[in-house]
Amino acid sequence: MTETADIAIVGAGAAGLAFAWSAAAPGLKIVVLEAGGTVDQARAPSLRQDWELALQTTFNANPNVRQGPADYPVDDTESAIHPAIFNAVGGSTIRWGAHFPRFRPSDFRRQSLDGAAADWPLSYSELEPFYDTNDEMMGVSGLSGDPANPPRAPRPCPPLPLCAATERLAGAFDRLGWHWWPSDAAILSKASRERASCNNCGPCGVGCPLHARASADIAYLAAAQARGIELRAGTAVVELERTSNGRTITGLRYKDADGEGQIACGEVVFAGNALGNARLLDSIVDHRLFGRGLMVHPTAIVTGLFDESVQSWRGPFAAAMVCQQFCESDPARGFTGGFQLQALRGQGPLTTALGGYGLRVPWGQSHIPTFVARFGQTLSLTVTCDDLCEEHNRIALHETARDRLGLPVPRLIYRVGDNSRKMLAFGIDRATEALRAAGARHIDVNPLTRNAGFHLMGTARMSSSDALGVTNSYGRVFGMDNLSIVDASTFVTAAAVNPTPTLQAIALRAATAMRDSHTGTEKAVA
Amino acid sequence: MTDRLIALLNTLLPGDGADWPSAGSDAMAARTIELARGAPGVSDALTAILNALPDDFGTLQQTQREDILRGIEADRADQFDAVVTVSYNAYYTTPRIRDVIERLTGYENRPPQPLGYELEPFDESLLDAVKARGPIWRPVD
Repeated sequence: MTETADIAIVGAGAAGLAFAWSAAAPGLKIVVLEAGGTVDQARAPSLRQDWELALQTTFNANPNVRQGPADYPVDDTESAIHPAIFNAVGGSTIRWGAHFPRFRPSDFRRQSLDGAAADWPLSYSELEPFYDTNDEMMGVSGLSGDPANPPRAPRPCPPLPLCAATERLAGAFDRLGWHWWPSDAAILSKASRERASCNNCGPCGVGCPLHARASADIAYLAAAQARGIELRAGTAVVELERTSNGRTITGLRYKDADGEGQIACGEVVFAGNALGNARLLDSIVDHRLFGRGLMVHPTAIVTGLFDESVQSWRGPFAAAMVCQQFCESDPARGFTGGFQLQALRGQGPLTTALGGYGLRVPWGQSHIPTFVARFGQTLSLTVTCDDLCEEHNRIALHETARDRLGLPVPRLIYRVGDNSRKMLAFGIDRATEALRAAGARHIDVNPLTRNAGFHLMGTARMSSSDALGVTNSYGRVFGMDNLSIVDASTFVTAAAVNPTPTLQAIALRAATAMRDSHTGTEKAVA
Repeated sequence: MTDRLIALLNTLLPGDGADWPSAGSDAMAARTIELARGAPGVSDALTAILNALPDDFGTLQQTQREDILRGIEADRADQFDAVVTVSYNAYYTTPRIRDVIERLTGYENRPPQPLGYELEPFDESLLDAVKARGPIWRPVD
């Protein structure tokens, strides 16, 4: 007899696990299918002396390099940006810096305010309670009162401290009269709910053995399971079954360690990121915009080199402080939209030698003097750009190449648009100005970080009109009876900041509506 | 082959003759081979680069050896890049080198965890100037 789930969720990452937790209700059978396995962060590489080697292998951000058991190849030959995603329970939050900014109200109204992009079919104020819930679940450290953002609830934990390097930068921003603020970080500055406090070790990107740095598995999985949801790790969905008119998904076929199986389902929720979703939905979603309009965050990294050690290896590498002076759009700058400057601390010795955010330290006689001048003496700023939705940027499927499951290999097709190029150039100048003001004597510029395909947005964008979007504001796919998408592929704009808090808030909102429609407590959302 | 590998490593990472040993010293050549074997294609790349060296490579001066390597780097960029990476991997994960780093920079010769570093409280007074400048976000509704 075929197993049946009321809700089947494909993907146990940031969105999928948040959705599962929120949708859970007595009497609802919810199953989460995740192709990847679990990652035991209690044994994170940062417990080993050679932890930096893991950044090149098991924790390499690029699945084409990492080639883990759950990774599928991505054809990026037509992309300026390489993919940076992680396939496991917890998704890409296993391999992240936990920088946790929110979109601002204007990010949802770019068409109305700036005549650019499109407005979202929902507003910041509609998402705000879900942002707040998510902050509590993920365990966010930060400080309310940021003048670059609307007032928000007190942060669950106090902000993480600055360090010698970021204090210099804070002073520089003050002298320039620019905004700065301690990052909202999904990292606990004090112990909470069986998670220890951060101990400032630095390399959050290889997992956190203290569970101080949140990932979706740490923050949501146990709570969701306590509510009755069922996780199937190592279970890769390979096919969707439909009714003859194609509008209703009746079941999912999957492969796991035991072979093949199928599960019938009432609702199907995809949270597998733009690449993973496309492998399964490209032949299901009959909408001209599906797969198109890919947005990333084109990112430059500007590194300042100081004359003396600032011990910049201390502290979470990506969640220290931000400058949002240039986030809001200003047409006088010559482009629409804005960018964020995000401080990145220095790296370990091996990663420094291999180039860190810039060029590799040269081999030969100049190696040691160059290494000595760099290690512990750098601080970087990202220039994280609000990308525009351009239809030629897209996810497509390879015509012939297949992965080990027999699914088509996704193609990442992306070139940086003119608007983003102008923004990058302007932002690089501002980052240079700030680092110079902080006392850096030498500046290195990486004008476009190739390994920045971590935020894949817009390929199933939401809209109030089926002519202008693939899903409605709850992620329900137009023209389908029971298919939803709840990850960053539904984004209408990219904003200038990391997407995880927003995609999780969207997932919580959609899940709440789906739960209430199933339990009869609110109007249906279809 | 080992002598040739040591000469190659000593050329890539010659140290400074004082604090920093060269990469061909101690057991770093063996560590390089071990790490190369653990990475797809790197052993082949290492063998190819070693085979491309002239027989008298080890007897030449550092500057002469560097000139030869620059030529090989230009001809076999991907293989040479893999060899440089694995050489750095071995060098910077060797305890003796980490001792030097600790002595000269204060970066302790231990894993980041479980000790970490002190997490001091955030000093909110640092934000006085930012707060005084007032809101900069755009209200919309």
